[in-house]
Amino acid sequence: MKKQLSSWQEFTKGIWKNNPIMVQLLGLCPTLAVTVSAINGLAMGLAATFVLIMSSLLISSIRKIIPGQVRIASFIVIIATFVTIVDLVMKAKFPALSKALGPFIPLIVVNCVILGRQEAFASKNNPGRAFLDAIGMGSGFTLSLIVLGTIREIIGSRSFFGIKVLPEGFEPWLIMILPAGAFLTLGLLLALVNYYSIRKEREEHESIIAHYKRVGREELIEELKVN
Amino acid sequence: MNKVIQMLMVLTGIGIISGGLLATVDGWADPFIIANKKAETEASIFRVQPEGKSYEALNNIGFEAYKIKNENSDNIGYALVYEGNGFQGKIRLICGLSSDLNKIIALEILEQVETPGLGTKITESPFTEQFKQLETSPSINWVKGVEPSKPNEIQAITGATISSKAVVNILNQGIEQMRQLRASGALQ
Amino acid sequence: MELFVIFISAALVNNFVLAYFLGICPFVGVSNKLSSAISMGMATTFVMTLTAIVSWLLYNLILIPYNLDFLQIPSFILVIASLVQFVEMVIKKVSQPLYRALGIFLPLITTNCAILGLALFGSMREYSFAENIIFGLGAGAGFTLALVIMAGIREELDLADVPKPFRGAPITLIVAGILALAFMGFAGMI
Repeated sequence: MKKQLSSWQEFTKGIWKNNPIMVQLLGLCPTLAVTVSAINGLAMGLAATFVLIMSSLLISSIRKIIPGQVRIASFIVIIATFVTIVDLVMKAKFPALSKALGPFIPLIVVNCVILGRQEAFASKNNPGRAFLDAIGMGSGFTLSLIVLGTIREIIGSRSFFGIKVLPEGFEPWLIMILPAGAFLTLGLLLALVNYYSIRKEREEHESIIAHYKRVGREELIEELKVN
Repeated sequence: MNKVIQMLMVLTGIGIISGGLLATVDGWADPFIIANKKAETEASIFRVQPEGKSYEALNNIGFEAYKIKNENSDNIGYALVYEGNGFQGKIRLICGLSSDLNKIIALEILEQVETPGLGTKITESPFTEQFKQLETSPSINWVKGVEPSKPNEIQAITGATISSKAVVNILNQGIEQMRQLRASGALQ
Repeated sequence: MELFVIFISAALVNNFVLAYFLGICPFVGVSNKLSSAISMGMATTFVMTLTAIVSWLLYNLILIPYNLDFLQIPSFILVIASLVQFVEMVIKKVSQPLYRALGIFLPLITTNCAILGLALFGSMREYSFAENIIFGLGAGAGFTLALVIMAGIREELDLADVPKPFRGAPITLIVAGILALAFMGFAGMI
């Protein structure tokens, strides 16, 4: 049995340690497709977060009456229902955004982040924890989308949330708003995250070695190096 | 056996609830969606026919076109919605035409998937402005690199010649269709 | 002619993976070996063509006539899920070698957004029945092409000295970016 995380950890794990996009590499399709601007990223993130929270709440509440064999089918129908609601509401109230995000709202259904959280978390935990988990994962997803959208928008169209931030003299890099720019930006961001975690790991490693040296257990260092 | 019944019950229950919920939400959202679509069409019609006050759809012609009237209910021209292939995909546009079909009042690109930053310039005003008061007979022509010298010519965008050409071709095809309708008397 | 344009457009110009970002998960996950990339591509193309047929029938013969188009998303995803299961069962019965080659990839296809994307695009663009089939075939061919090229490059990359933080997903995405640029050269073919 794994140690229970505190409520706060349950919430924050989705933002950094298990960030769905940057660490788990889930839900990349909408991430790459809609992030030509920060506002698109925000809208997509909020839509997916809403679906994630609602499905997690519902599924964790009825988890005991769903038979194991049909759980995936039930999850998919529940998720698809919430996605359709979001799609209809956006079409009715935010037609411009709905047009910009195009078919990627319906595609939230197959966003692996959402189905993944139902299978791995909501179907095994009570609604309270499932809610925290969903908010955390949703925030992590939304934040990553905003970061990606911001980088691409500033360099690709000189603006941030539609407001011009770079001077006219800066020639916008067209590649950033092309599909290729999405791949390159995300690739570089992931490398940055990797670089950070590799460095952190090495620091931890070195601090352990230093500790062993202090207590005079040199033989343990050799053991560590072998591993 | 019990297990199977439970499975069926749960799936049916979820299906019924989800269907019912969606039907309700759809019932609420549908009027808004229809109103949005109508408002969007209306706004673009009056942008390409600024003098127009009312419009009337032309039915059973195989494409989308509207007859435009001014405040005295006189026919002042048409708005034509037409589409065709661009550089990377479909381009859909709307253009206002004078009542003799020989002049474009204004042009607006409704949908396109051209290369961002290059082909997408066809939606921007330096390009679309060129179509204001452009003559359409015998057909619209494009020139490259030089200023247009004839009243039926426009200048193609540097770096987006194919997209510019596509817009001209779509317009020529659409206007040709309108001319045929006119010749057959269907425009009255 | 129109059908040919749709095929080229779906396979090359508007490649599902490199221009629409559909099916990125299997693209990153399965593209490290050429042989599995080919199997995955074939399985996906097969399911895509079937989906194009079934979703068109469902949409135009049931959802539209009965004004049920708000059920589009749930019904499409269910149809795809059951289709994949069905295909898996049939292949297992009919051909063991084929099942061994494609079998493990089939369950992955259910969550491949390229399949649902295909069904949604097809109904959005109001394709005719024949056009939709060609669209499905083209999208599948494009997906296979992107996957196979990527796998070829990644097999070579294994031998290259990639900086540590770039290993795995980052370098794959950067290569995909360069491939997307290369595929832009196909624009203008339609």
